[in-house]
Amino acid sequence: MMTLTLALQLAIAGISVGSIYALVALAIVIPFKSSGVLNFGQGEIVTLGAYIALILTQLALPYPVVVASVLLLGAAGGVVIERVLIRPIVKAPEFTLIIATFAIGLLIKGVISIRFGDSPNTIDGPFGTEPIMAAGLRFNPTSLWIFVCTALVTIGVMLFLRSTRLGKAMRAVSVNPEAARLMGIRVETVYRWSWAISTAIGALAGLLFAPLIGINPEIGQLILRGLLAAVIGGFTSIPGAIVGGLAVGLIETFSGVLIGSTFKNLVPFILLMVLLVFRPQGLFGAAEIKRV
Amino acid sequence: MTDRLTVERLSVRFGGLIAVRDVSLRVATGEIRGLIGPNGAGKTTLINAITGTVPIAGGRVLLDGLSVSGLPAHAISRRGIGRTFQHVEPFAELSVLDNVLVGVGRHSHVPLAHAAFATPLAHRREDQAAREALAVLERFDLLAYRHTVAAELPFSVLKRMDLARALAARPALLLMDEPTSGMSESEADRAIAAACALAEAEKITLLVIEHNMRVMMALAHTVTVMQNGGVIAEGKPFEIQRNRTVIDAYLGDEAIDAVG
Amino acid sequence: MQSRHRTIVVLLAVLLLAAAASTMGSYPVYLLSLAMINVIAAIGLNLLTGNSGQISLCHSSFIAIGAYGSTLLTARYGVPFWAAIPLGALLAALMGALLGAPASRLRGIYLALATLGFLQIVQIVIEEFANLTGGVRGLTVPKAAAGGVRMSEYARFLIVLGCCMLAIWTARNLLASRVGRELNAVRLSPYAAQALGVSVHRVKLAAFALSAAYAGVAGGLQAIVVGFIDPVEFGVSAALRQITFIVVGGMGSVGGSVIGAAVLSAMPEALRPVKEYSDVIYTLMLLGFLIFLPHGLVTVWHVIARRMRRHAPTAAAEARP
Repeated sequence: MMTLTLALQLAIAGISVGSIYALVALAIVIPFKSSGVLNFGQGEIVTLGAYIALILTQLALPYPVVVASVLLLGAAGGVVIERVLIRPIVKAPEFTLIIATFAIGLLIKGVISIRFGDSPNTIDGPFGTEPIMAAGLRFNPTSLWIFVCTALVTIGVMLFLRSTRLGKAMRAVSVNPEAARLMGIRVETVYRWSWAISTAIGALAGLLFAPLIGINPEIGQLILRGLLAAVIGGFTSIPGAIVGGLAVGLIETFSGVLIGSTFKNLVPFILLMVLLVFRPQGLFGAAEIKRV
Repeated sequence: MTDRLTVERLSVRFGGLIAVRDVSLRVATGEIRGLIGPNGAGKTTLINAITGTVPIAGGRVLLDGLSVSGLPAHAISRRGIGRTFQHVEPFAELSVLDNVLVGVGRHSHVPLAHAAFATPLAHRREDQAAREALAVLERFDLLAYRHTVAAELPFSVLKRMDLARALAARPALLLMDEPTSGMSESEADRAIAAACALAEAEKITLLVIEHNMRVMMALAHTVTVMQNGGVIAEGKPFEIQRNRTVIDAYLGDEAIDAVG
Repeated sequence: MQSRHRTIVVLLAVLLLAAAASTMGSYPVYLLSLAMINVIAAIGLNLLTGNSGQISLCHSSFIAIGAYGSTLLTARYGVPFWAAIPLGALLAALMGALLGAPASRLRGIYLALATLGFLQIVQIVIEEFANLTGGVRGLTVPKAAAGGVRMSEYARFLIVLGCCMLAIWTARNLLASRVGRELNAVRLSPYAAQALGVSVHRVKLAAFALSAAYAGVAGGLQAIVVGFIDPVEFGVSAALRQITFIVVGGMGSVGGSVIGAAVLSAMPEALRPVKEYSDVIYTLMLLGFLIFLPHGLVTVWHVIARRMRRHAPTAAAEARP
């Protein structure tokens, strides 16, 4: 029986989970917009972020330090990946890039499995688990924190793209790399930065989500939700990624209640197939998405 | 008798840009029609529209009186409209023979099961197709290259291959997009002669875009002139050469070869 | 003449292999069977990805459909394996066509996503319909029997060998015929293909069905050779492994499929002491080939073959007085 309170409660849960998907979608869309490469290994970046958080937390470092380190190490990881693995094949056919990013993801997952094994771990959220009551609704502090962070990251990214030199360069490159190059923009540097930002965001998502879903090598599976979010939003739209992520979170939470557990897992993928067939550009994407 | 090709008030739009504007023309069966015009006139776009490669914004296309506009490109091809490409569009990794065999494949069909199990029927049809393809290759002096991979060949040879490939499909109407570009004078003459011989033998109607005026004037029965997406003149070659509007259209255009 | 010699050589090699295998213990024979099953699956994927140019991240799903399909027919309806496996392959082909209908209109990342979505859907169906499929715990396959007598490892090997030879033969026939030309044509130049009357969509859809059929056969054979179906075999890692076979071997040729699958099937055995590292080693290998040898080992083979041909005329000239 769907009461208003239940619906609102579910909506809150959906938005908080959706915020993570939004971050993952953001991390996917940013390098895709600028370099045309879709990082299928982004899920494992999230896993990496969670495990970095685990190590640092076990070292009893304070939370702000953990956050900063996860962001920095995540960014560094992105730079390494871009330089070592993506750069040699950036001119290769799309097939190569898709498979390569997939392989990178599996490589990261494999290394993590070797180092940590499959047993699940967990870390605590920064604000404890005591639910906050407001307006008759129950708010999980970790979920609130995730939402706040996602909002901050989104605003930060949009400001960055709009106001900073590097951000504007990124937008120029995403529209036309050749023209950007002629204008004196170092396209390779832009690519590197877009990867660094995206992996930093991905790693952050891992850190934020860990208190909710635990830490294990399979976390990367949520890339599928992130990809669905990116499809809904349209792969070239940043606000689209956020809207898409929240939508997926809400769909997931509500379908869990409204549909039997057997089929609830199928919903995101059926939605994905339907969108790919009928509206691959999603809600906000350009109608013809070409890789430059 | 119905015309082989009827184009009625055809328009093609790319976003806000009108590439082909209200074009009408009729090509009789067995005719060789020339299509000329300065760069950007919309000639290739017109061909693309007739073959179904780009969507039509208005008007229609009829083959032997039957409408083909709106059909998918491969279906239009199967109705009997063939084309060659300005830039060849070769099957780069395939040999010249295989390229032409794809053309032959339009009327030679080997069912999948037969092909998989190399049945006598499959052998018969493949042999027949190979004979046809080799015959076409011979007409275009391509036998020496039959096993060469297309990617390794120079542009002028590929242009001949494109011609051979399109003609091997036995179209009723063949639209040729600058068939002699990249060729020397003698190559061009031989290729055009081979194409015309085949066209006459098989009763193929030709519509040819050419910038080489010498070839065009010798070849075409009638010439249609386009500019800025529309038709500005149509008539016998010698009339067109003296036509004021046509000359004005070409003034300043560097693509024109010797006139007359 | 050349090709007739080649056929005789191949047949002799096959007979030798069969004879040699009869002297080996059942474990090496089992491994050979698995290698040949990988060859069959790789051939299917190569037709789809290497020839018709469509990326597929769900090839292992069609192997699964073949495996579960044929096993359920045998276990529930008593269908003998020699009918169940082709029927399982037919089911896989139908599902391939079902996916291919929309997927063949997609390209690049959208196609990759669609196949990834299909993979997940199949995984979920396998897990959720546990009363049929055994769910995450897997499904035991009834022991294959011929004429009421339980088959030996060697008998199963011979069946797999026969199917593998059939797969190689049919695939080579297809690629040498108008089917193969059309598969390549739609990849190399869809515009030219359309202009020559080839329906790009129909060919691409057929490619999906065809590759799924080979995968389905591989799945059915895998079920009877292994005796057990484990759904973990059909996830993303497995799909990537399938792709690794054809990247390492060489995309677009049957030889590439054979080389890649054969070479990489030897690896799990070599890697047994370091099993946890197998995923890492596979991905490093895949990345290495993508960066340094994207056309696969088959190009190395061609270079060797060409060099041998260059030496052969000299030997013949010397032989003449």
